[in-house]
Amino acid sequence: MSTAVAAAPAATEARRCTLADYLLDDLEVVDFIVKGYHIVQPDLRPGLNEAIAAKLDVMQRNPGDAICDEVPELNEVLDHPAVRGALVSLAGKHYETMFHRHWHCKEPGTPYMHWHQDGKNRRSVTLDRFLGLFYPTAVSADMGPTMIVPATQYRNAPTDRMRSYGNIRGQVPLTVQAGTFAITHYDLWHGTAANRSGKRRHMIKFLFARTGDNEGATWKHDPQCMNRLRDWNLREQAADPFNQLSFANPLNVSQSDSYKERAIRREIWEQLTGEPLR
Amino acid sequence: MADDNGSRPRQRLLYMHAQTPNILSPVLEMTIYEPVPGFRMELTAEDPDYPYATVHEAVVDGWQVVQFPLHQAEYDDNEIDMVGYQFILQKLEVVET
Repeated sequence: MSTAVAAAPAATEARRCTLADYLLDDLEVVDFIVKGYHIVQPDLRPGLNEAIAAKLDVMQRNPGDAICDEVPELNEVLDHPAVRGALVSLAGKHYETMFHRHWHCKEPGTPYMHWHQDGKNRRSVTLDRFLGLFYPTAVSADMGPTMIVPATQYRNAPTDRMRSYGNIRGQVPLTVQAGTFAITHYDLWHGTAANRSGKRRHMIKFLFARTGDNEGATWKHDPQCMNRLRDWNLREQAADPFNQLSFANPLNVSQSDSYKERAIRREIWEQLTGEPLR
Repeated sequence: MADDNGSRPRQRLLYMHAQTPNILSPVLEMTIYEPVPGFRMELTAEDPDYPYATVHEAVVDGWQVVQFPLHQAEYDDNEIDMVGYQFILQKLEVVET
């Protein structure tokens, strides 16, 4: 399955753009509510990815939370308006970049990592915790890409019980271009494939948190976007926010699970916008 | 460790997660565990290519269900937890080790 990449202003215009130009639209926010991830391709300055990768390639010890002290160029990624625009859209205007961050270096020859959630599942009807996964080099299928399972973020599923799953239909490998920043819901199921290549695969993980309830939408929002009828013919093929929120079923789960997911999504949308849905 | 050069039948296990408890419903996940030393499973970046589309197809091919999904467990009808309904199947076969 291919990885959806956020539309961004043309590269030649990017550095003249402000954060407002990079806010997500309604469909992108709904897509995150449904699938639990969003891919950002920031227009980083020439040479930045290479500079970060060069430092990581020779790093012998993991500095843990101090990775940005060792590689201060990472702060440029966090400050990029495309990254901040997506985070403001999803986590609110006053989102917090948390102190914890970690360099995940997948060495050549290391095996797969099983499906898991970070920490203990705390399902709620707010979007309040996020992972940011930054890849300074391109990641190919044989380099041990991060694997995610869309639409698993609302499941109260202990990690131990995920051990009985292998490859899940609908799983997505984050085979990405250099400079990709993936934002996921904190509770999204994820793992890695094995690194069968001869290259180190770098990923720097960041955590973000909402610090307060929205007073309204924090993205490019059209208040009429949900003023639609359910399209019982096209269902999830109808690519508008209302029908996506109603019908999208990325894993082809059962009717009862799908209905429960729909109810959770609608509550989240109402929380984020302050607008009741019909 | 086996000392029979693989001449005895061994238990191959097939874990399947189906969309519903009905064995005719589509499979969402499938993993075969081979009874050979050092066996490992893998997560792969490639799309999974399952040999069976349903539990029923696996049964037709000779697999026997040894565990059906449990329905007696507590549930909360507002919550979702695991993906799909787990079936465990076996085949007793001579497997080269």
